[in-house]
Amino acid sequence: MRRVLPILLLLVAVIAAPILLRRSSDLAKIGQGDDQLVIITPHNETIRSEFGEAFARHWKDKTGRTLNIGWRIPGGTSDIARVLESSFKAADEINKPGVGIDVFFGGGEPDFNKQAEKGRFVALEVFKTHPEWFAAEVIPAKFTGENYYDADHLWVGVCLSQMGICFNRDAIERLGVLPPRRWADLGNPAYAGYLALADPTKSGSVARMFELMIQEQMQLAIRDNGDTPEAREEGWKNGLNLLQRLAANARYFTDSASKVPHDVAQGDAAAGTCIDFYGRSFAEKLGKRGPSRLVWTPPHGGTSISVDPVAILRGAPNEAIAQEFVSFCLSREGQLLWNLKVGSPGGPRETSPRRLPVRRDLYTNDVLKMFSDPDALPYERGGGFEYRRELTGPAFKALAQIFRAMCIDPHQEMTGAWEEMRERQSPAATMEDTAAGQAFFDVSHLSYDRLMNELVPLVSKKDPLATMRAMSGISATFRANYQEAASLARKGGQP
Amino acid sequence: MNRTAAITVTSVVSLLFAVFFLYPAFSVIGEAFRLPDGSFTFAFVGDVFRNPVYREGLWNALALGVVSTLVTFLIAFPLSLLSHRYEFTGRTALGVMILIPLVLPPFVGAIGIKHMLGVEGSLNALLIDLGLMSAGQPVDWLANGRFWGIVAMNALHLYPILYMNITAALSNLDPAMEQAAENLGCPPARRLWRVTLPLAMPGIFAGSAIVFVWAFTELGVPLVFDYTRVAPVQVFDGIKDLTGNPAPYALVAIILVISALVFGITKALFGRQTSGSQPRPKGRGGEVKLTGLKSLGCAMIFGGVFLLASLPHLGVVLLSLSDDWYQTVLPVALTFQHFTDALGDPFVVPSIQNSLFYASGATLIDLVLGIAIAWVIVRSTIKGRALLDALVMLPLAVPGLVLAFGYLALSQEGRPLHFLIGDNGNPAMLLIVAYAVRRLPYVVRSAVAGLQQSNPALEEAARSLGAGWFRTLRKVSLPLIGANLAAGGILAFAFAMLEVSDSLILAQQTEHYPITKTIYMLLSSLGNGHELAAALGVWAMVFLGIAITGAAVLAGKRGGLFRV
Repeated sequence: MRRVLPILLLLVAVIAAPILLRRSSDLAKIGQGDDQLVIITPHNETIRSEFGEAFARHWKDKTGRTLNIGWRIPGGTSDIARVLESSFKAADEINKPGVGIDVFFGGGEPDFNKQAEKGRFVALEVFKTHPEWFAAEVIPAKFTGENYYDADHLWVGVCLSQMGICFNRDAIERLGVLPPRRWADLGNPAYAGYLALADPTKSGSVARMFELMIQEQMQLAIRDNGDTPEAREEGWKNGLNLLQRLAANARYFTDSASKVPHDVAQGDAAAGTCIDFYGRSFAEKLGKRGPSRLVWTPPHGGTSISVDPVAILRGAPNEAIAQEFVSFCLSREGQLLWNLKVGSPGGPRETSPRRLPVRRDLYTNDVLKMFSDPDALPYERGGGFEYRRELTGPAFKALAQIFRAMCIDPHQEMTGAWEEMRERQSPAATMEDTAAGQAFFDVSHLSYDRLMNELVPLVSKKDPLATMRAMSGISATFRANYQEAASLARKGGQP
Repeated sequence: MNRTAAITVTSVVSLLFAVFFLYPAFSVIGEAFRLPDGSFTFAFVGDVFRNPVYREGLWNALALGVVSTLVTFLIAFPLSLLSHRYEFTGRTALGVMILIPLVLPPFVGAIGIKHMLGVEGSLNALLIDLGLMSAGQPVDWLANGRFWGIVAMNALHLYPILYMNITAALSNLDPAMEQAAENLGCPPARRLWRVTLPLAMPGIFAGSAIVFVWAFTELGVPLVFDYTRVAPVQVFDGIKDLTGNPAPYALVAIILVISALVFGITKALFGRQTSGSQPRPKGRGGEVKLTGLKSLGCAMIFGGVFLLASLPHLGVVLLSLSDDWYQTVLPVALTFQHFTDALGDPFVVPSIQNSLFYASGATLIDLVLGIAIAWVIVRSTIKGRALLDALVMLPLAVPGLVLAFGYLALSQEGRPLHFLIGDNGNPAMLLIVAYAVRRLPYVVRSAVAGLQQSNPALEEAARSLGAGWFRTLRKVSLPLIGANLAAGGILAFAFAMLEVSDSLILAQQTEHYPITKTIYMLLSSLGNGHELAAALGVWAMVFLGIAITGAAVLAGKRGGLFRV
């Protein structure tokens, strides 16, 4: 006992620490509220805690009842899709209408469309109770080509998000490049091994970002040559080549939204693709002692401003509260919570989520001065690029798989060839003009025509074996191309 | 062992195993063998083998598994031998301290290491300060280190498994054997090769089997190095892929078959019962007391391994205290704020209670089942016990996410495993079962090693003197394998406390979160998520460290594993 006693005392001290430090909360004690709301979300802890506390307070003011919010956070959007799939499948088997979850909060339009197609959402009452919020000057139906709410009122966007570029000042100085301003700047071979990319196969929003990069190239070609099949082919080829350049520079492809800004801030990567609010909050955190080493910038062209939606799941056990939650998110009170500074009236308690509200009417001078990001002005600065669904929209599902076959699976061969080409080519020549470059950037086997007429119908047939074989074939061709490029670069040697 | 009893135990265990492991695992992996029309196919498995990227991934995983096991052995065996043969300054404390890798919390351990080895991390800052590296051209250790970096990290993380198993095996050796060899003029190296090593083989095999399967299927370490052409990472990437490609499940099936094959072959070669009839050790006559430089030398070897193995922990501790840590050896500004914020989170206290409950429940189940299974494997003669032995190793080889998705699907209302979900969706039973299944191999391997070394004649003597089977078990068999059970139990408990996949997917409501999910939740806080997660990670490290030391103190009294 004498030996065990000090250890027991230590254990007691360690366990006592969190009990003594525990903070109070407006939310009802776990499992003890008068009412309950269950929300499944990929949103971060900051958003969960700020919205949870604020809505619980709002509910108490309105009804006098305490509310307990059960957050379901299985991971990112791909994990949520998996959990919903498995839960609804089981519920359907025993003819249960719902899965015990009320609200799906956050993600991207593609994720919500997928669930809406499967009939898993109910219509939102906010469209009837507050029709004035859906006027073009409040929440537009569309902006930069993106839908801001569902035509059947099954989901509605509550905040905006924009993919941009984050970079580390020290690192780009070390690499000897200028601050990146366009997606294409990230294709500079100087970034080799120091570019952090998000993975389009694991997130609909990231897949959309890559789709937009291709769109930008197609729109440029169409602008110069008119909307002909040849112009589309050329734009498509340029788009794929741009993705190849980026992927060849990539250090990794990640499904974690916060990994990219973190690694860029730490200097493990020099630049990367990053959602606006992550970039802004990292920049603020690092800007406490002088200018921040991490800079986030929206790229010129080739990016749209999309929404993070909210929807109510069918068979929601607490549908009335869920409808109220959706209305709260779109109310002035809920909207301001996204970006007001901590401590300002109606603002967040601990940390500002640094997201931009979807309601256009709130971007007024008196409100903006309380914002954490008064200069973001998405509706004024977001113009210039319009997403054209007919160009690549039907190929959305196929694009992520093509990216995997072209860049992720043969990444080792790709970066190997890129390294050889970088080392051995003269600085004056462009990569594409060398023999090795021609092999590397050869996408003739993957024409726009083949995409639309062969691959899109194949992917939509949902035959996993046929799709897998087609993609393996494409991947094998790219792999061979990269190996060929590496060997040509070696043979070419120094000019 | 009584044949009827053996058959009963085998049937019960096999049934439990089938329901709680094979069924959930294969309900997911089965996707790789089904065409959309429901018919059976091997086409996906065939395509995986035809795809050079997957083939290379499998070879790389196999190479990482084999090389990591060898390197782990090279670290663990000398340590066990030194602590077995010699008494030196601080042996007791150092023997517990080098178990430090067991308390490394997930996610944040990786972040800690990245702060050390990153381009602008501690190591490069130190080398630049010392003038050994140019600030304009820092080395990218993580991108260039890959294979050997992963092997080193694996070895430094996994050696306690082998160390504990070998130490337990050595503590069961009769020093008289070695003394006899010495008296007959056998030189030390030959004695080691011909006497000590073969006698300790059950423990070496037990530890190596786990280390191999672990390293072969390791996901976290290759991810730190962004090494994607290795099968477990390909599986992980594929499972999370939104397109629902069945290739990753085919890859899991192949990984399972390879793991079972390698286990079977090495068991046939090395895992045979070598010393079942040897007498129990009579005292510790073989121990040599070292003094002066030799004693210091031994202590320094242990201290050196401890320091190397605790680098990720040091990274986590520094990160939890840092306001910013970039281009410097140590963080530029230190703060306690992250601890106040992280530990003050209202979800932390319940999650600690939950984790303790889940992990203790799982360890208890593992001990009961593990002893029963080991008993059948070692003491019975029924056919198929070798198959049972290989089967219980498989939970180590199934990726956590695959099993978690299996449990998730089968525990929905109306599905067969729904009875594991309690009132208000409480997943406690489900998580205990999930943790127990994945940690069963540690206890089985340790118990098998113990039973192989203990003499059945002692049990037979007890039975013939009139003791019932339970009394024999309690008074004779269990005390004889106490050290092994302590080793297995500690491993099972520590790894259950730090479990990730099941915790993330199955604990859906905040009130049921285990501590790992709370760490994960804090990780996503905006701005300082990594620091908050590190702070809670440090708390978990300290707690587990104290708990393991306590267990070691208790177990050491009985088993001789730690010789406290």
